[in-house]
Amino acid sequence: MLRAIPAIRRRLRGGGDPNAARIRRRQALANKAWQGLPYIRIVLFTVGYLWLLAIPSSQFGQRTYIDENALQPGQVHTYWSWNDVHRADRVLEDLERLRDQNATSNEIANYAVGEFEKIGIPARIQHYSFDTVDGVLEGTNAYAVMQSPRASGAEAIVISASWLSRTGEGDGTLNLRGVATVISLAQYLKKYSLWAKDLVFVISDGYLDGMQAWITTYHGAAQPNLHAEPLTLSSGVIWTAINVDYPGHSFSHLGIFFEGLNGRLPNQDLLNSVSLIARHTGGVPVLVHDHVDPRDTPNTPSILPAWLPEALKSNADVQEYAVRARNIVRHMNYQARGAASGVHGLLHRFRIDAITVFAVPATGPHGFHSLGKILESSLRTMNNLLERLHASFFFFLLVGPGTFMKIGSYLPSVILVGTAMLFSGLGEWVNAGWTLASPPPLGGDEKTEKASAHTSWVQRPRPVLQAVSIMAATHLLGVLLFYALNSGLVPSTVIFLLFAILPVLALQLVSSPAPPSAPLATVLKAFNLCFASAVISITSVLNFSLAAALAVFMGLPLTVASSSPSQPKRVVKYALYSVLALGWLVLCPEETRKAIWNWEVLEVWFAPFICIVYTPLVLQAALACSLP
Amino acid sequence: MRWLSCWRASLVLVLHLAAVGAASEQFDEDLTIRPLRDGKLSARFSFSTLLKDATPRDPQQLSSDDEAQHYTLFPLALGQILREYAVTELHLTLNAGKWNYDAWGYPEEPGVGTGAELWAWMGESIPASVDQRWQGLRNALAGLFCASLGHLDEQRTTSPALTFQPEGSLPNFTYPHQLRHATLPSEHVCTENLTPFLKLLPCKSLSGIASLLNPHRLFDADWHGLGVHVRYREDVGVEVRLTFQAIFDPVRYSQEKRRDWSLRSVFDRSIERACPVARSSKVRVELPRGPSPYSITPDPTAIIDGVATYVVDASEEALDVAMRWPTEDTFEYPNTSEAPPLTELSVRRTLKGTNQAEAQLTLVITNNLPVQVTTGYLETMPWLLQFYLHTLRAHVNGVARDDLVSILSYTPPVPHSRPALLQAVLTLPPSSTLHLTMDVVKPFLRYTEHQPDAQRGWDLPPAVLVPFAFGEGQNGTVAAAHGRRPRRMYTPIMLVDLATPDFSMPYNVIIMSCTLIALIFGSVFNLLTRKFVVVRVSPASDAQAAAEQRQQQR
Amino acid sequence: MDGPDLTFSALVAARLLLAYAPLPEALKHDHQLSSPLTSYSRLREGIYLFEHGIDPYSGGSFRHSPLLLSLFSTVLPLTPYTSPLLWTAADAVAAWALVRIWRLRTGAKTTSRDGQVAAMYLLNPYIFLPSLALSSSSIESALALLALMFACRGRASASLLTLACLWHLSLPSLLLLAPILLLLITRPVSRLALPQPLGADLKRTLPLLAEFSAYSMLLTFASTLVCGNWDWVEKTWGASLTLPDLTPNPGLWWYFFTEMFDHFRPFFLMVFSVHLLIYIVPICVKFQHDFLYAAFVLIGVLALFKPYPTLSDPGLFISMFSLFPEIYPYLRHPIVTALIHLHASLLLPLFNSLWLRQGTGNANFFYASTLVFGVGNGAALLDAIWAGLRIAIGKVEDGYEVVQE
Repeated sequence: MLRAIPAIRRRLRGGGDPNAARIRRRQALANKAWQGLPYIRIVLFTVGYLWLLAIPSSQFGQRTYIDENALQPGQVHTYWSWNDVHRADRVLEDLERLRDQNATSNEIANYAVGEFEKIGIPARIQHYSFDTVDGVLEGTNAYAVMQSPRASGAEAIVISASWLSRTGEGDGTLNLRGVATVISLAQYLKKYSLWAKDLVFVISDGYLDGMQAWITTYHGAAQPNLHAEPLTLSSGVIWTAINVDYPGHSFSHLGIFFEGLNGRLPNQDLLNSVSLIARHTGGVPVLVHDHVDPRDTPNTPSILPAWLPEALKSNADVQEYAVRARNIVRHMNYQARGAASGVHGLLHRFRIDAITVFAVPATGPHGFHSLGKILESSLRTMNNLLERLHASFFFFLLVGPGTFMKIGSYLPSVILVGTAMLFSGLGEWVNAGWTLASPPPLGGDEKTEKASAHTSWVQRPRPVLQAVSIMAATHLLGVLLFYALNSGLVPSTVIFLLFAILPVLALQLVSSPAPPSAPLATVLKAFNLCFASAVISITSVLNFSLAAALAVFMGLPLTVASSSPSQPKRVVKYALYSVLALGWLVLCPEETRKAIWNWEVLEVWFAPFICIVYTPLVLQAALACSLP
Repeated sequence: MRWLSCWRASLVLVLHLAAVGAASEQFDEDLTIRPLRDGKLSARFSFSTLLKDATPRDPQQLSSDDEAQHYTLFPLALGQILREYAVTELHLTLNAGKWNYDAWGYPEEPGVGTGAELWAWMGESIPASVDQRWQGLRNALAGLFCASLGHLDEQRTTSPALTFQPEGSLPNFTYPHQLRHATLPSEHVCTENLTPFLKLLPCKSLSGIASLLNPHRLFDADWHGLGVHVRYREDVGVEVRLTFQAIFDPVRYSQEKRRDWSLRSVFDRSIERACPVARSSKVRVELPRGPSPYSITPDPTAIIDGVATYVVDASEEALDVAMRWPTEDTFEYPNTSEAPPLTELSVRRTLKGTNQAEAQLTLVITNNLPVQVTTGYLETMPWLLQFYLHTLRAHVNGVARDDLVSILSYTPPVPHSRPALLQAVLTLPPSSTLHLTMDVVKPFLRYTEHQPDAQRGWDLPPAVLVPFAFGEGQNGTVAAAHGRRPRRMYTPIMLVDLATPDFSMPYNVIIMSCTLIALIFGSVFNLLTRKFVVVRVSPASDAQAAAEQRQQQR
Repeated sequence: MDGPDLTFSALVAARLLLAYAPLPEALKHDHQLSSPLTSYSRLREGIYLFEHGIDPYSGGSFRHSPLLLSLFSTVLPLTPYTSPLLWTAADAVAAWALVRIWRLRTGAKTTSRDGQVAAMYLLNPYIFLPSLALSSSSIESALALLALMFACRGRASASLLTLACLWHLSLPSLLLLAPILLLLITRPVSRLALPQPLGADLKRTLPLLAEFSAYSMLLTFASTLVCGNWDWVEKTWGASLTLPDLTPNPGLWWYFFTEMFDHFRPFFLMVFSVHLLIYIVPICVKFQHDFLYAAFVLIGVLALFKPYPTLSDPGLFISMFSLFPEIYPYLRHPIVTALIHLHASLLLPLFNSLWLRQGTGNANFFYASTLVFGVGNGAALLDAIWAGLRIAIGKVEDGYEVVQE
């Protein structure tokens, strides 16, 4: 009996030394993994990209709901009546008069202040000026602080309207009705003693600049290129804000804009409550952005491309996909660029959850009456808040007015791509470290990198130091590029050529390692891939859209980047990659200009990120191609 | 029927009290009404009961039994507390709202800080220390007024003796008196505080001026606050003053936006009958000085320099004072940017920056007088906000003027136990604005220390300014130029949001951290203790084979 | 002036430029770069209070050592112009000490790697970011390296005095006492490859220990004289034992004790503090042939388990890798460790701002990143220990493997 036990043990462990057996198992596993690696990579890539494509499909997403119980949206009876609408109309007449005699922003602000003072709300104006590359940007804000009865003045809600509508990103369309709404709303809200927070009304000048000046001064944040008068009226902490944008004569739908600077989103509870109120209290259909769904409005052109076969066009799923895709693409376009989709976006920087309600211009049926009711009810909802909106509801993808995706359902797509890149990088690293030809090098020189693991392979030194220094150099180059752009002196084509050529020239200085050691290109590519994957997977938490864009632009290209024996091929590859890295300089100068403006005025990180992170990474791939 | 019986009861009361009370106790009540320039109406009720020839209890006698107390008018519940904890002077205020000094001027009752404020002068003693009695006192008052004064613990208690001088006189006991002061800005005032307050009045709210205290209207006011003030007046006695102060907005109540008011329109009541035990009972109305003509009904008993006085007597018909501005059809609000502020100083105190780790405290003080003003500046800050005193900077229209600030005393805060106390003197140049900025850090609390609504943040007590020297009064000790005692100004309170941990995580955190530590600990000792051996894994041949495979992968 | 010195001075010059470059003020408040015990603003506050006759240790915010207090309030005033200079000088001294240690270890006057060793310290972001934030942890690292350098040179008194100062600045660095004492009675040359039992006589450490305690006694009394009372003990050393300030840092303590139940707090505080001491003896025994390496490993332990770590603690550990090139071929998973560190160093600042600035993330985000950072440091520590022991076996030919059993 006892003699049986060792036998069993032998059967279990396999004969011989248990350690040896364990190591053999491990090696076998490692070999399997190694053999499988290419397939794993391919699988990860395909799944990741397919997931990205599948996000708009109708299978994903869930209904929106209110998480914070205190909000109680739409539970109040609204008293906004036709008298108030008439008052709004009268204000509108004044504003139109001002517009016709094209009044200066000073006169407009003074008019607004006068209106507020007339109803007993202290109001002031604020002059400001930004100096940017394109010159000085001046304006005047008007703001009023209504001290609520029995409120300690430690909390406040902001109701704002910018003089320019967000139509065409502030292309000059006036937001007259928005301003009229805010002023008449102030007159109306003054009548009630139920406000637990102060109400701050802001009529900001321009499109984004005015509010940026006001909110920055309110929070005492320093901005070197901003000269703004200090605010002489103050209130407390702002938790929530709502921005009114009503450019047209009347409106059919209420569009909700929520993307903020640097990809920050407001708490979803806020926009869910407002859209709920709009639908139930105001009886107004709600849209994400201003995308009218072609299915419930017959005479709008279909958003599906014409070349699609009828069968697909009429397919409900395809249509749903198209509608959602349009919302998501618009959203990603804002978020990836870190741009604000409206005035509300500037407030996010100060931990204020804000949205813009956009009255989509149409020939009816809605006007001041329904908008007023919606705003009153929304403000009552915000007024209910006992705490800052804090449910972890900041990471979401709003695919439709009533449908959203949780972070868990879209994040993996990008993470998978990142992981694939990581594996490729590790694979390259192993490749660089092992060879059969060369004799084992002597340890001691720190360029010789470490034996990766338990295998009987001959290893060769890896030129780590050169690779790392090349990467550092490219990122420094990125910093230079950024300053060159900021100075705005050098034309972009020159910059493009300069920064495309410079790396190759600099590369000649680096001594390429001697034959026994691995080719520099391999190590460089390995590090490049690892770093890029780290950047992508970490960005994805902060700003999913940006990460997705990076995954698309860097995922495959960086992975397939490889040196080739023939010189001309290398040159062509290098050219292609440098276009990928710097092409935006010449291909979309307008975007570049806007990005720089956003950086200067709104401190949006997109421009520096591209210059200092994206471009260098791709340049490294280009160098990896150009190296022998 | 009920009314009648009530009436009888109080009549009996009168006869009884007229005999006993009048001798040793006095009760006076008055109501002061002041129309404000922004159409609002300030009303101040004051009910004072004087206990003649009484002296506060000497804390040294706390061990021995107290002599018997017989009160008829004097609120018994309060009296017992005062005796029990040997309190010489006591001030408790419960306010809601932000007092707008610029538009409303100085209040009749200086204590207008938002929330609850309690300060008391008590004699030190051996048997029971001041701090023990302070704790007992605030708990007793919390019970009496249904307010959460129990939270005024040592984390909020300071002793700013420079700012809160006794309003009465301090008897000289064996040991000197000490001040205890604490504020609870997040305390909300409502009916549950008013009811016990009314119970302390001899006539409750049945008759006399107190009958105007109608909760439905009082708690719809723009600002309201109740106060309890106990002081000892040398050779006179112990005086208890119960006050209620409110700011009403007649314009808001009226349909056609007029500022006309009457007792009935404001309080929805009128004074039906006088309080029989009151020695004096007056309604004072400050007559507006504005150009627009007004009328006031009924005819006042007397008008002394712009103040109309009505004596509430036992006359049968109800008193309903009313004031009208016949020429105005709607009220024209004055332009706040042009109208001069009604106080010497205008103060704004805000917390800049939205980072949850640090912020900047800014204090903007405008001197509205053409002469230099010297003011005391008091911060009693819980450790929830910690000052970096070395970053304290003063600017007058852009020019650095650190010489205008002189710090008298500073007690740094101790986390989890003690608040900071900063007493300084600011010199304000004539009609100019002083910007005071200071960096502050927000501490990180244990998850057990957070409030239930942790994400709201914490209300921070108001700062107090005491402008005490006007004109060329350079050295801070010059008495007030205007002869009256210096008046306190309370800044608005602030809300600070502290970073919160995840309250659902304790177990997860303990598990994860411990796992990581155990993992590393285990591996380290694995490496250190186990011995190294060289084992033959496999013949080189299959390594070769693996090698070829690997080559093919390239 | 020959090559290494030239590169060295070039590096220092570059660092000086960096120190005076216009940098965001937010750097000084960054939780990764300076802990409550090393923060520059708190140091300034303490000096301000001290100079205005208020006992800085009566409050809760100032927790620096009285040594720094007296030093910076008298000899070296802190101004926007002097401070960067002082901190860069501290780093330069530290780098110089590192190079000296390297030379003493190899026994050569100058080596080709001097420049690399210096660069490994001066250009290490974990080192120069805290020093840009003027966190006094840079001074602690400098003192640690100085103490080691003196010990390598056999200058007992200097080394022990430096160590005593270091101990006053940060209590946990007491871990280094044992290896430094033993280093003083042995030689710093590398014997990792051919370990042998300790030849020296342990009794010789006793007088050194006495000397050390004398120095620390002296410093203690000096500090008490400066402050006028003993409050500073509870405020400075007590902080590392009772963790009164829960400001986030890259370490493992802060969130653990934020979330800890009050009645378990003392127990776990004791466990965490004692846990640090456990490592001293085994490591010193195992590396008795090379106490410099033991000190190196213990510094790694400190970087991982310190109560109030900043980035410069792991930075010091990583920089010291450059002293032991012989172990590189034997490191187990260097690339994995490097990648974890890369991710962690990107995650820490991002999640910190996500939680405290943007307000979209909550505390768990940052806690998770500190865990990742801990894993990275732990991996580095394990690699170091493994390689330090594995090197003794040397290379094995094909078909053979080295394992532990």
